[in-house]
Amino acid sequence: MSAISSAFFNRQFYKIFAIGLIIIFFIIPIIRLIAMSFLSDEGINFDYYYAILTDGRTWQVLQNTLIVVVGSTIISLILGTAFAWMVAYTDIRMKGIVQLFIFLPFIIPSYITSLAWVQFFGPAGLLTKLLESVSINLPSWDLYSMSGIIFVMGISHFPLVYLFTVNVFRKIPREMELAARISGATRWTAFSKIVFPMALPGVVGGSFIAFLGGLDNFGIPAFLGTPANISVLSTYIYQKVIGFGPSAFNEAAVLSVILGVIAIIGISLQWLLLRKSKPIETTKLDYSPRYHLGKKKLIAEILIWLFFATTSIFPFISMVMTSFLNAYGLDFVPENFSLKNYAYILSRNSTVESILTSLKLAGVTTVIGIIVGTIFSYYRVRKPNLNMKLMEYGITIPYALPGMVLALAMIFAWMEPIPGWNPGIYGSAAILYIAYVTRFLTLQVRSGITAFQQVDKEVEEAARINGTNGFGKWKRIMIPLIAPGVLSGAMLVFLSALTELTVSSLLYSSNAETIGVAILSFQQSGYTLYSTAFSSLIVGLIIVVYFLLFTSGALRKRKVEKGK
Amino acid sequence: MKKLLILLFAALLSVLTACGNSSDEEAGASGGEGESELSGELEFYTSQPDVDAEQLVDAFNEKYPDVDVNIFRSGTEEVISKLNAESQAGSVVADVLLLADSVTFEGLKEADMLMEYNSPEAEAIPEEFVDADGTYTGTKVMATGIVINTDEVTEAPTSWDALVSDEGSDQVVVPSPLYSGAAAYNLGIFTRSDGFGWDFYEGIKANNPMITEGNGAVIENVASGQKNYGMIVDYLVARAASDGSPVELIYPKEGVPVITEPIGITADTEEAEIAKAFVDFVLSAEGQALQAEIGYTPIREGVEAPDGLKSLDEIKTLSAPTDELYQNREADKGQFDELFSN
Repeated sequence: MSAISSAFFNRQFYKIFAIGLIIIFFIIPIIRLIAMSFLSDEGINFDYYYAILTDGRTWQVLQNTLIVVVGSTIISLILGTAFAWMVAYTDIRMKGIVQLFIFLPFIIPSYITSLAWVQFFGPAGLLTKLLESVSINLPSWDLYSMSGIIFVMGISHFPLVYLFTVNVFRKIPREMELAARISGATRWTAFSKIVFPMALPGVVGGSFIAFLGGLDNFGIPAFLGTPANISVLSTYIYQKVIGFGPSAFNEAAVLSVILGVIAIIGISLQWLLLRKSKPIETTKLDYSPRYHLGKKKLIAEILIWLFFATTSIFPFISMVMTSFLNAYGLDFVPENFSLKNYAYILSRNSTVESILTSLKLAGVTTVIGIIVGTIFSYYRVRKPNLNMKLMEYGITIPYALPGMVLALAMIFAWMEPIPGWNPGIYGSAAILYIAYVTRFLTLQVRSGITAFQQVDKEVEEAARINGTNGFGKWKRIMIPLIAPGVLSGAMLVFLSALTELTVSSLLYSSNAETIGVAILSFQQSGYTLYSTAFSSLIVGLIIVVYFLLFTSGALRKRKVEKGK
Repeated sequence: MKKLLILLFAALLSVLTACGNSSDEEAGASGGEGESELSGELEFYTSQPDVDAEQLVDAFNEKYPDVDVNIFRSGTEEVISKLNAESQAGSVVADVLLLADSVTFEGLKEADMLMEYNSPEAEAIPEEFVDADGTYTGTKVMATGIVINTDEVTEAPTSWDALVSDEGSDQVVVPSPLYSGAAAYNLGIFTRSDGFGWDFYEGIKANNPMITEGNGAVIENVASGQKNYGMIVDYLVARAASDGSPVELIYPKEGVPVITEPIGITADTEEAEIAKAFVDFVLSAEGQALQAEIGYTPIREGVEAPDGLKSLDEIKTLSAPTDELYQNREADKGQFDELFSN
């Protein structure tokens, strides 16, 4: 009896402890932010809300934001699902490399992609000149526009949808579709009635993250929207924050609350969509192709590589070529090339230090994310009560807020957590760890939820009934089942944290400069060539690591097969 | 389940304690009799490029090896936001600030965030660049001029008219005052100068200009030949031209707005002696020579400007009362936003 009650007591204790952690790390900074939107010198009031909501500019900005975010999410959704389907089901070749190129738009800094495209598509760009030489005069596409922002953002975020969807596709038993086909359904019916609904948790989860990413994204609308004077919430908040005057923060806080409300509407929509999705009983990822494209394979492959050529290969090459230039704006001819930009950045201690700092930050964030995020998503799926839902809101909002706002909220919350007591967290690297975990945990949670939603509760119960105890159940049944989903989430967290920019740029201390901060400060101070060299170096390193993992994985697989 | 939770708790705890430790290193006691015996930690918040700030700190450390200077570098606007957040949250961490323009410092002064310090070195600096109350002092001279692409523009313009005339149609790039502090300063100056006013900006708008976040993007667009004319701070052009970019800097004959990257000490500083020594060093003949070496026009009389830039006495400046600029900055930005979004 006492054993049971102490177990019960422990349970309660852990539960309270976990809720406490989430409140301290996630909810308090948000509450400070909300408080700021109400508090003025005259106490609590709605003055700031009144000022913001009666300003016509706000509504224009909101309209822009919705168009941009919804439009880009749709592009990400279509591209992400299409690529996931092709990689999971068809027999196209070089899937490992295809996967790498799918990730590149997510890793290459978006201002570099935008710049490369502006140079490529612009009036004096390569494409226009090429077409002119064969006397085709296309009206050149102005990327500095609403459509430009939507397009670039859609391309940058489609890897999120891909990553959430691809393993879900692989898990769907091929028999389901076969059965449908045998009963006379067309391919399209089979896809839209059977496969797609089963893949919904992944598709919706990924699209939701792309939606949040679009809400908080500052770089793309700032770079492409400023020339055309298009403001979205994130850039408008920035403009408010940097303004003088006593109400700068308060008005920014009001706008952030509005942004948070949009994010909450997004989560609720997602819950509605997923209400009816069913778990899948299979436990294995099925890697073998289901569709043999035959003659169409070549066409599909050409299309895929053309797509990569414009979205990632071309921008990447243009970045690398620029990074070898002696001075910006010189022609790309051999005598203008040298290694001096690389020599410079590599000669600085801070370069290596910033790489190490970012690796450490990303590593720790990923590990904490895997543990906390997976546990949370398990309970969120198995015990979807109001508490858990509210906590999910709390975990999600920091990802949707613009980095600048989250960073300011962090300063408010951690400088003196209790007035008069400064624990020294702000000003040390600890604030960065806290900020990173807070910001990126939702990526892990989302992929955890997607993974658990596909594990039927009966599988878990069967394991328990068979006498497998708690730990064994996890080790032998649950972990192998959820591992692919959890690991793709972890990869997202790691890559996002590695190249994080806006939060760190306000919170770093000089002993903890991150990669993003180093690149941004080169860029901001007019040392474009150093920033392209550094970016090329980082993207290059990521590619090399990927290839090492990929080839070692392939080798191991071959060995295993030989061993059979 | 329990094990996982314990693991999670341990992981969190170890991260927090590991990070906490590094920050708790005691700052050494400041003071001492001789100048060179200063020791301790100094928090230096600046908008200067990293590279330049590091050179400055290295030179300072040659003189004061026991002072540990921590640099926080970001755009002026971000630094100000961080300072405001720190001040609202309890206490300002920064000791010394070196930011874009006097208007920014006027704002800090208004909020009582600056300490009064009349550096003996400031006597060699033109009076107009030193705050009368001693809260901030200019450290260099940065003029905003016109940059042209020399491959595309054969006849170099001599006047600001280049940005509003027909040859500038679709060929002009200017930084946005909504993002860049220097651009906001220029906006304040131009709209209050004879012969310019809002007409000048309306003229630019009529040329369908490209508006960029900052000055860095202006040099990129002009150097790469996307645009032929740009409004820009001088040193970026001098630097790009000396590297070989096809660009040239023009100081228009009507005069140029000038920002001075002032330096000041925060009111909350706990390291006043070190902060003063740092300010003295930046303003000293030695510190000013270093600025010129890095590529800026020094502000101190008698120190030569680097190649490609004009010295202070060769520049005709456009100016307006700092206080007026400060009071009207938000209104100016609002009017700019309205003008260009229609």
